[in-house]
Amino acid sequence: MQNLYIAPTSSTPEVNFQFDRHQLSLRGESYPENAHAFFGPIMQAIKAYLPTLQSTQVTVDVQLAYFNSSSTKVLLELFSLFNDAAVAGNYVTLNWHYIEDDETILEFGQEVADDFTALDFHPCALVE
Amino acid sequence: MSLTDFHRFKELARQENVVFFYTGYFSQSIVTAMGDSLRLRLASLDASQTARRKLFSVFVEMAQNVVHYSADHLSASSAADHEIRMGSLWVGETDGQFYVVCANPITPEGVEHIRAKLEPLRTMTNEEIKARYKEKLRAEGEAGSKGAGLGFLTVARDSSNPIEFDFVEENDGKPFTTFYLKATI
Repeated sequence: MQNLYIAPTSSTPEVNFQFDRHQLSLRGESYPENAHAFFGPIMQAIKAYLPTLQSTQVTVDVQLAYFNSSSTKVLLELFSLFNDAAVAGNYVTLNWHYIEDDETILEFGQEVADDFTALDFHPCALVE
Repeated sequence: MSLTDFHRFKELARQENVVFFYTGYFSQSIVTAMGDSLRLRLASLDASQTARRKLFSVFVEMAQNVVHYSADHLSASSAADHEIRMGSLWVGETDGQFYVVCANPITPEGVEHIRAKLEPLRTMTNEEIKARYKEKLRAEGEAGSKGAGLGFLTVARDSSNPIEFDFVEENDGKPFTTFYLKATI
């Protein structure tokens, strides 16, 4: 399956999904005008990729300094797909990078970990 | 307006510690450019990372609210992309606390709808707002919402004081009421 790369803009994150290495990352900021339009093709790619896996170790790095409310909703749907893949017998590590004193981003990461217990969640504090 | 009046306008903004003011059409590219400008201003101010992120969050939710819902628009009202709508936005500081105020025209029928959404948020505690946000985040999308239906809740969550709002009828011949929303970080 072809890797997916989308360059960052001021309001959309860098998407770097290396499906061949099972390493996926989202970095930057996310406040597009229409989160469903931006994340649609990304969700499609993930939905095509996850069913091809069997007992595979997948590493997901998320380093988003800011995401708006509509992106938050889509991110939750994305993590739900990863959780399903982990329940189906894969190993999904979610490295949650956040700026050390940003409580809101850390709290959201912890909620993701509470909701999706099959994910191997690692909070990673970034010291400015 | 004479240059002296412009000076009064500028002086008032300075006295009131207005960091940023914009009035006119809002589109996603204008919001992004305003965001970049606001970032530069925030970087030079003495504020914690959490306060800066909350201020930026309130700014984006309010500004995108104008892009999506202001009643005075250049784009087709059903458009979900490339929308351009009218509004005003202030960012300022009072007694060491930042505030964001947004104003945009709405139809008179929208008044009660918005009031019903905002009034409960004024009396809820932080914990109640967070709980409501968590619940809404996991619920199905709301009819008529172009986003996640979480904008006002996000503004309330990121405010340290209860949000303030008002509806002002204009006498400019247009069939709109101006909706004001203020959040203090």
